[in-house]
Amino acid sequence: MYRYDEFDHAFVSDRVEQFRDQVARRLSGELAEDAFKPLRLMNGVYLQLHAYMLRVAIPYGTLNARQMRKLAYIARKYDRGYGHFTTRQNIQYNWPKLSELPDALADLATVEMHALQTSGNCIRNVTADHFAGAAADEVADPRPYAEILRQWSSVHPEFSFLPRKFKIAVTGAERDRAAIQVHDIGLHLKKNEKGEIGFAVYVGGGQGRTPMIAKKIRDFLPEQDLLSYTTAIMRVYNLHGRRDNKYKARIKILVHETGVEELSRQVEAEFAELRDTELKLPERDVAAISAYFAPPELSPRAEGWANLAQWKKADPEFARWVQNNVQPHKHPDYGMVTISLKPIGGIPGDATDTQMEAVADIAEEYAFDEIRVSHEQNLILPHVALADLEPVYRGLVAAGLATANAGLITDIIACPGLDYCALANARSIPVAQELSTRFGSPERQAEIGELKIKISGCINACGHHHVGHIGLLGVEKKGEELYQITLGGSGDENTSIGEIIGRGFEPEKVTDAVEVIVNTYLGLRLDPSEIFLDAYRRVGPQPFKDALYGDKTAAAA
Amino acid sequence: MTKIWNEAGFVTDDPWVIETEDAKAGSNEKAILGLDDFLAKVSEGDETGLGVLINPADDVRRLEGHLDRIALVAVAFPAFNDGRAFSHASLLRSRLAYAGEIRAVGDVLIDQIPLMLRCGIDSFAVSNATALKRLSENRLPGIENHYQPTARPSQEVGSYSWRRRA
Repeated sequence: MYRYDEFDHAFVSDRVEQFRDQVARRLSGELAEDAFKPLRLMNGVYLQLHAYMLRVAIPYGTLNARQMRKLAYIARKYDRGYGHFTTRQNIQYNWPKLSELPDALADLATVEMHALQTSGNCIRNVTADHFAGAAADEVADPRPYAEILRQWSSVHPEFSFLPRKFKIAVTGAERDRAAIQVHDIGLHLKKNEKGEIGFAVYVGGGQGRTPMIAKKIRDFLPEQDLLSYTTAIMRVYNLHGRRDNKYKARIKILVHETGVEELSRQVEAEFAELRDTELKLPERDVAAISAYFAPPELSPRAEGWANLAQWKKADPEFARWVQNNVQPHKHPDYGMVTISLKPIGGIPGDATDTQMEAVADIAEEYAFDEIRVSHEQNLILPHVALADLEPVYRGLVAAGLATANAGLITDIIACPGLDYCALANARSIPVAQELSTRFGSPERQAEIGELKIKISGCINACGHHHVGHIGLLGVEKKGEELYQITLGGSGDENTSIGEIIGRGFEPEKVTDAVEVIVNTYLGLRLDPSEIFLDAYRRVGPQPFKDALYGDKTAAAA
Repeated sequence: MTKIWNEAGFVTDDPWVIETEDAKAGSNEKAILGLDDFLAKVSEGDETGLGVLINPADDVRRLEGHLDRIALVAVAFPAFNDGRAFSHASLLRSRLAYAGEIRAVGDVLIDQIPLMLRCGIDSFAVSNATALKRLSENRLPGIENHYQPTARPSQEVGSYSWRRRA
């Protein structure tokens, strides 16, 4: 993984001191809240319902054991002993004191971490495939490019006061695990017929109140043009993105209102001017950054195959965990392990300080000191020998982290909702907990198969409900919480936005409604290999509407 | 009260006035014209040393071909969070190769001034009390290490091509 050099260390510590000065001015009253706001946001500090919130960046979701231990330490020292891993591969702390935040940032800096640009109208933490560097289907590791973009976008003076936030995601495989088509810029790493690396460039995807799928504006952008082309997009957006209405300020609206052809023309015109400037990426720099991401040396561990068969036979629960939470690695003797942060009935994405430390220990002993955070709010050990899966599992069981539900119906994404968030209209966490409990039995989950439920507590869609196979959106109607259900969304290489199925459900009825949908699916699927999403795409919404609202009942939204 | 600051310090005898319906430049003063008025003026005569105001929605590229007639471009920040002038200044310097004065006007705050400097803005009309105090103490909250080349010339640092030092 990337390691800071002196330049990076100096930058981050200067930035901490700069923020310390801003906090001091805020606390003395010299700096008004409205002027402090964009400054604190660019350092990851929100003002939430009950307290300030600190969002720490985990660039492209990659971290090591030492960093994970520091996250545990921050949770213990400045918070209430836990942290919340987010859909943007970050971690949030919900209870820090403003006066202590500069110290927390200084602590993070000692392990090469920061909270830069995890918020605010700037270029946010760049995300990537959580299986990067390990997945069998990968063309190239997306993380070196994400790191180059992270560096280039850090305190970019031209693009620190954009019309709205700006999110970039990079994937290096045909199978899109980074949801690039619902990002402001999505980059798909690929090789051309000459074997050269480049990117398909997507622009203008996003969720929120106006969900849109990104449009492809470049089929193949050469690697060397990454920064000049991105600068061109940013400049067009900075100059022309709407600033009159915050809900219409994302680049997706600019793409929509300008038209993709005209926008693409503007970007290409700007790019033509920038292409042969100092923004051109030299091959040696890409190589130097890529070297940091060289895969660990994975020695053959063929004994794992026999061990694994024996362990699975001896322990059905272990077998189930392997089945659901371990995926094939590009090295046949290894696997990629998903550590579920979705215990049955628990809060999606939360981890305690001791759990974080347990993961750090396991990663160090068995997983080449590498940990990832996935946008599905789980942790990943990308390189684990099959021969080590049993001790890894035992360690996770001891830490309460061995829930065998990756990709299943209880692997729910949920935003913090009204329990924490100043923007929310409805609670998300209790809904997730009730659904998780309802569908918690392993047999029931196995029967249902792959099914992604995503819950947002308001229209801002932080819980990604638009791309949930089943999406739940909390709204407020006449002072009551109500949950609107969407079906058929997906955030992969075949991205689709879910369709609202009908009128919403009260909190006490929403779990039943989901169960009706699930039972309807089980009744109509061709066979167990047809997952919910495929079945929905085949039959459409009608059977689900009929089951939820009765035959021929008009289901007004 | 608004003061003009640049990296050499506060300017005491600044002649520039942004012309509006109500405010016109006096005999010892010089007018900063709106973009359309400026373009009209350059097409009418051959006066040089002009001032022009670029508002956020203006296309700064319309100044192309007239740069030798301009002594000052004012770029407007109607609110500190309207960042369009950062791009205007960047384009003026790196695309149009404008070498004269670029002045930030409007909501100019101390924490933004280092970013403005990096985009090629080199003079500042400041009225915010904290900003005036800090500038008078010569305390700019900038960072020396940068991760991107910008309009303002800066040193390469000998590592990655995108890195610079003030």
